[in-house]
Amino acid sequence: MFRSKSAWFSGSVSQACQNFWISEGGIIACWRKADYLFSEDATCPDTLRIFESKDYLWNRVVVFHCLFLSTCEKRQSVKSVSIGHYVLPPASVQDEVRNVVGRFIWECEDEQSVAQASPESFRCQTEDERSEGEISRKYSKPSDTNSSESKEPLCGPLWDYPTSNMLTGYISMDNLQKYSGDLRDFHPSSLSSALCLQLIMAQENLSVVLHSKGDLRLENRPVPEPGPNEVLLQMHSVGICGSDVHYWQHGRIADFVVTKPMVLGHEASGRVVKVGSAVKHLKVGDRVAIEPGVPREMDEFFKNGRYNLSPTIFFCATPPDNGNLCRYYTHSANFCYKLPDNVTFEEGALIEPLSVGIHACRRAGVTLGSTVLICGAGPIGLVCLLVAKAMGASKVVITDLSSERLTMAKELGADFQLTVKRGDVPQQLAKTVEDMLGTQPQITIECTGVESSIQTGIYATHAGGVVVLVGLGNEMATIPLINAAVREVDIRGVFRYCNTWPMAIAMLASGKVNVKPLVTHRFPLEQAVQAFETTRQGLGIKVMLKCDQNDQKP
Amino acid sequence: ASVIQRLFVFGLCLSASSSAFCLQLSVFSSSWRRKISPWCCTPKETSGWKIDPSRSQDLMRFCCRCTLLESVGQTVHYWQHGRIADFVVTKPMVLGHEASGRVVKVGSAVKHLKVGDRVAIEPGVPREMDEFFKNGRYNLSPTIFFCATPPDNGNLCRYYTHSANFCYKLPDNVTFEEGALIEPLSVGIHACRRAGVTLGSTVLICGAGPIGLVCLLVAKAMGASKVVITDLSSERLTMAKELGADFQLTVKRGDVPQQLAKTVEDMLGTQPQITIECTGVESSIQTGIYATHAGGVVVLVGLGNEMATIPLINAAVREVDIRGVFRYCNTWPMAIAMLASGKVNVKPLVTHRFPLEQAVQAFETTRQGLGIKVMLKCDQNDQKP
Repeated sequence: MFRSKSAWFSGSVSQACQNFWISEGGIIACWRKADYLFSEDATCPDTLRIFESKDYLWNRVVVFHCLFLSTCEKRQSVKSVSIGHYVLPPASVQDEVRNVVGRFIWECEDEQSVAQASPESFRCQTEDERSEGEISRKYSKPSDTNSSESKEPLCGPLWDYPTSNMLTGYISMDNLQKYSGDLRDFHPSSLSSALCLQLIMAQENLSVVLHSKGDLRLENRPVPEPGPNEVLLQMHSVGICGSDVHYWQHGRIADFVVTKPMVLGHEASGRVVKVGSAVKHLKVGDRVAIEPGVPREMDEFFKNGRYNLSPTIFFCATPPDNGNLCRYYTHSANFCYKLPDNVTFEEGALIEPLSVGIHACRRAGVTLGSTVLICGAGPIGLVCLLVAKAMGASKVVITDLSSERLTMAKELGADFQLTVKRGDVPQQLAKTVEDMLGTQPQITIECTGVESSIQTGIYATHAGGVVVLVGLGNEMATIPLINAAVREVDIRGVFRYCNTWPMAIAMLASGKVNVKPLVTHRFPLEQAVQAFETTRQGLGIKVMLKCDQNDQKP
Repeated sequence: ASVIQRLFVFGLCLSASSSAFCLQLSVFSSSWRRKISPWCCTPKETSGWKIDPSRSQDLMRFCCRCTLLESVGQTVHYWQHGRIADFVVTKPMVLGHEASGRVVKVGSAVKHLKVGDRVAIEPGVPREMDEFFKNGRYNLSPTIFFCATPPDNGNLCRYYTHSANFCYKLPDNVTFEEGALIEPLSVGIHACRRAGVTLGSTVLICGAGPIGLVCLLVAKAMGASKVVITDLSSERLTMAKELGADFQLTVKRGDVPQQLAKTVEDMLGTQPQITIECTGVESSIQTGIYATHAGGVVVLVGLGNEMATIPLINAAVREVDIRGVFRYCNTWPMAIAMLASGKVNVKPLVTHRFPLEQAVQAFETTRQGLGIKVMLKCDQNDQKP
């Protein structure tokens, strides 16, 4: 039966099975070279090694349950035994597979029991019945069995797959080459394991694409293939940033102009589904947060640790680089950071705005005991607030035009809130801040970009202190430069961030910072335009897009 | 000698109507009194030296043999305008703060100085041990005493008392005039420190007046590999070249800042990491910002208008820091070391000398922008450098 076929057997497989194989003309080979791999237990160490190997990840090998051989022995036939039913998934995804296909065939109570006809019943049919059903259905190959039995419904939605050209799962032994593609009908798209990648590739990669100013479209794009140092990610949660909305509305930010269609999105997290050949620190199934800025060359900026300033840096959703508001996305593995189990995908996506806060507070020198003024209580002001308090700032004053935003700021830890209005005199506001705090703040983090607010920040800051400019306003600004200069108040800008993800993950994992209240709206990817509209109107704080159809959880 | 003939244009003290002109002289001999100018206020007649009871406990009294140097910007400005920003001359004030002298009397608690010691004077003496002082940035202390900043008196006189902790003994090979020049040199040291000048730095200095020149001297001494210096006057740039500038760029009013920045980049082969802006002119500050390399620093030494319009976003998104300087702190020991070792030569900066009796002429010379540093010699018996 198995003449000139080679197989590898896990230590978990009984000797009887192996003897059967040999008695039928089969050869024993090492697992990398064998035509078939048989195991009884997915958690057995030698089987685990296979599941973690690169060959497995690249769909070069599939492991089968050795019940296949027992069934072949019982029936004295291989052609009637559809090997596809016996694919043994890794233990980590078996639950997912069970959710879709019901119990595995080797988990049925009794091979001899006959399933009672009942459309609602969720039981396994015997292998005999199933194979008969298949044969009568599709293939006209000669069968060794009777075909008189009625078609019983199989357990689970095995027959209800979305793909229209689905096969029944029967794979002729003659066609057994590297057969992963033919197994796709048993592994519907919901399985995020390596086994279903072929199906994935045939399906859509729905992406949010900005074609030109005002023209935002949802369209399918090809699923990219990761390079040696990249990973392919199934995107899970992507936040919408003000810059995404700005590109949508204006088609440009400063010198960055949208000249060809560009995928938006840069605040993201996802799951690894494929790993490049040189990647060592990540594996399939890992949950990661994505750092969108990846330097392209090892220039002086990179060598000095300030790669955010590298002129040729790749950056998601900054023209002409594509973003990650889609279902599948490849990224440099060195800029994907594994999330601990207690950090959710949404927290992972929020690491990007949190990084702006970390970089700003670092540039400002916030430390234990600092007194800080934060101008602006939008998302950026709020993350700066969270980070400043976490870094040990003793007192933080926060200002905004909107008292509602200040209420949220208070909930997130602001010590003092100051509602300002247009037309307020900067020097007077500075005095009010000083009166509130009891002293002038050592640090001001300016998050609005509004000229009068920058002026307030300068007047307010203690001599020898620092004003950090996060908010971006007009190219030319009129400011009390001498006031800052003779009091040695430094003025420092920030551009994105560098070296922040590890710190952010540590802060989130330890619970030192709670970013969950920042997410106020959620939309599935299909409703991206609505999500963008919500952000554009300034509703809420952070709008999250959920890109995984099967997992819309935070 | 040729240095003296050069003409220099100074930034700050330009045409202005002279307002409150106050110059009070401590007078010790009748012969001297005859030479007092008609504008002088009530001369004080003493037989010895004057003690100011408001000084701190460890005051030391100076002999009258002061060698004095007039700060171009500040002192002449007070003379011409009666104020600088919020510092207003409301009562008679002695001018002068760039000074050196010889100890003639020592307070009871003073241990590290003795009569006869030659010292340089640090004019800024904090009055209280506040947070600034404790953190080493005493230059920012709000109640600091500072020579010749109203209402504090300066040391343009024959005898002067000062906190002994802020008088620094001069080594034998450092002249009095070099000692007096430590004050402007300190501006350069503080500016270069705030800028982070170090070995290999590329520096742009805007302005080749006295302050630009001391910044140049210090930057090269700190190891800057290449220094570009700009000025309206090509003559000043020639002096800058003699003092060590690698590149000189003559600019003119109306030059476009971005273009100047490009020219600087082309000259240096790269954008400078550091710009030290010594003019206070708005367009020059703009040039400095455009010219500086991303991640670099622009230090503002020159003081201009209260409100300035600058390309703030250009600086912000390239993380070009903007840092001002206010006077200096902790610079005298470093300056003395640099002068004693010969690492820095400030002697070419002195272009004019006048005896104290000819103070008004000396001021007039400075006001007209002649020379670099005008020296007043306060010791009748020792007019040497």
